[in-house]
Amino acid sequence: MPDVLSAPLVVEFPFTRSLGPVQSAFLTGLRERVLLGVRTNDGRTLVPPVEYDPVTAEEIRDLVEVAPTGTVTTWAWNHAPRRGQPLDTPFAWVLVRLDGADTALLHALDAPGPDAVHTGMRVRVRWAAERSGAITDIACFEPYDGEAARPTGHSGAFADAVSGVVVPARLDYTYSPGRAQSDYIRALAERRTVGERCPSCRKVYVPPRGACPTCGVATAEHVEVGPRGTVTTFCIVNIKAKNLDIEVPYVYAHIALDGADLALHARIGGIPYDQVRMGLRVEPVWTEGTRHPDHYRPTGEPDAAYDTYKELL
Amino acid sequence: MSKEPVAVVGIGQTRHVAARRDVSIAGLVREAARRALDDAALTWADVDAVVIGKAPDFFEGVMMPELYLADALGAVGKPVLRVHTAGSVGGSTALVAANLVAARVHGTVLTLAFEKQSESNAMWGLSLPIPFQQPLLAGAGGFFAPHVRAYMRRSGAPDTIGALVAYKDRRNALKNPYAHLHEHDITLEKVVASPMLWDPIRYSETCPSSDGACAMVLTDRAGAARAPRPPAWVLGGAMRSEPTLFAGKDFVSPRAGQDCAADVYRQAGIADPRRDIDAAEIYVPFSWYEPMWLENLGFAEEGEGWKLTESGATGLDGDLPVNMSGGVLSTNPIGASGMIRFAEAALQVRGQAGEHQLDRARRVLGHAYGGGSQFFSMWLVGSAPPDS
Repeated sequence: MPDVLSAPLVVEFPFTRSLGPVQSAFLTGLRERVLLGVRTNDGRTLVPPVEYDPVTAEEIRDLVEVAPTGTVTTWAWNHAPRRGQPLDTPFAWVLVRLDGADTALLHALDAPGPDAVHTGMRVRVRWAAERSGAITDIACFEPYDGEAARPTGHSGAFADAVSGVVVPARLDYTYSPGRAQSDYIRALAERRTVGERCPSCRKVYVPPRGACPTCGVATAEHVEVGPRGTVTTFCIVNIKAKNLDIEVPYVYAHIALDGADLALHARIGGIPYDQVRMGLRVEPVWTEGTRHPDHYRPTGEPDAAYDTYKELL
Repeated sequence: MSKEPVAVVGIGQTRHVAARRDVSIAGLVREAARRALDDAALTWADVDAVVIGKAPDFFEGVMMPELYLADALGAVGKPVLRVHTAGSVGGSTALVAANLVAARVHGTVLTLAFEKQSESNAMWGLSLPIPFQQPLLAGAGGFFAPHVRAYMRRSGAPDTIGALVAYKDRRNALKNPYAHLHEHDITLEKVVASPMLWDPIRYSETCPSSDGACAMVLTDRAGAARAPRPPAWVLGGAMRSEPTLFAGKDFVSPRAGQDCAADVYRQAGIADPRRDIDAAEIYVPFSWYEPMWLENLGFAEEGEGWKLTESGATGLDGDLPVNMSGGVLSTNPIGASGMIRFAEAALQVRGQAGEHQLDRARRVLGHAYGGGSQFFSMWLVGSAPPDS
């Protein structure tokens, strides 16, 4: 097994959601401790509600209040709660059919252990202390052996309904660039650029991918390229990107390193941005503590003739 | 056994805008689907299958949204297929639907594509901070701008061409009530004076970010015979793909695009696209892609596409109108953008395009591309059925 690099990759983003009329009523209801379902054309009450009838496909808007008590229809014990889940101690995922509803809602049940949970058990909503119009306004469900609660007869109309929610998403990956790119990255630490040659078409790929995308065969033969190269095409970036610590304007260029059969992408420096041109000869500028060349700068050689790089744009 | 001819009998789209905060994703797709069914005078029960497309799930952060959208699209109890080919997906989705009809798997198929960009983050979805890589670039414009420069160098086009395209498409959009941008006071001078974002691409030469959906009802000969309005007939359709980056890739005129067009023309019996095709809706997210794709699609010789644009031939009153709807430059709900091109081609041959209807639109090309110029999908539609 070759020595392959890996590193954590976390992507996080707070997505916004426009709710539309039905989900808006449902979530606003939770804020007001009112549970709302929607009535289908065949007279069933769906909780959580949907906008369109699953049987007839017709739009449905007939909101119906149901009770904050209900019955567990099935469940699964969660031994090890993860970040962002409703409870931080072990709990049961439950489907709860609220009294007055014909379908079940997924939520968490706070119970001391799996022995305390069974299908058919009675539960009630435990409301969150702080409510904003979100499914988390129900903190969780809890066991309940009292009378079924009664709906208040709410119409589903609210004065200041929520129209959107923000849903933070987070994905945790372990990223591995694979064998070929790991070799490439290690060579960069020695300030060398090493690609791989396809055994079939003989093209040199930089960075290498471990396979030739044209021939579909594995590549293994290391080929050192550069360090000098030719700017084959470029653009001048005038808008500053968030999370990118580069002053604008700057030149983003395709550079065909000498000996490589396709261009890699890098920034050009050491020359006013408006003097960069196709065919400019460049070399890497390395700085301490960075893996890649910080940028490429002119070598002072005469520009390359167009015919020498026109296939490498 | 020959293929079943495929007819477009219903077209619907939302009025595309920057943000539709009044509807959920379900509500958005529903609007387009409902309008397409109304156009075809059909009900949900008349649809045999639903084929849906959108850009990557990361955009809105809803994984496999087609599952949750089944209710809204009347798809419960029917096959639902999801197609995914990046920016070309709207076109590929329509072609998958068309193939289901052509193969006689289904008689009538609802196909739909959407994007709710106001709720999404395309930048985040496309530019993950990959470990070990050098962060260099943000946005699709920075990716495509060097290829535009390469085109300018190769063709010798004057640097005024991009602005001409943007001015034309934004003017066309004024005649299309569904277009997102309606810049009533647009002038060529304003386009030229707009800031350079990724030189050589100016702000006014880039597409907007839109919320929108587009839907079509495709059906067989029997379905077409029942349709209340003239159908558009699919005369040819094809998809091609190639890697984003490989030694020898020609970003200015990708081989996959050429091959895709050639396949469509062969199916439709088109010997000379410039002569035999009346108009084209081409996926042009940055203005310079009009002359580039005109060459890639065979409407002009290599290096000559900009001359068509410069001559006015691609204007609404030219002899090869391009992007009558205002194009992607005026409307860009990413996942839907390809289908809007396909739908516009169909609207034109049906004579249903409204104020931007062409006098002569017997055969019109719809085109989409996606990813790093790696996916292509196209169809040619006609006012007369194939082999007639």
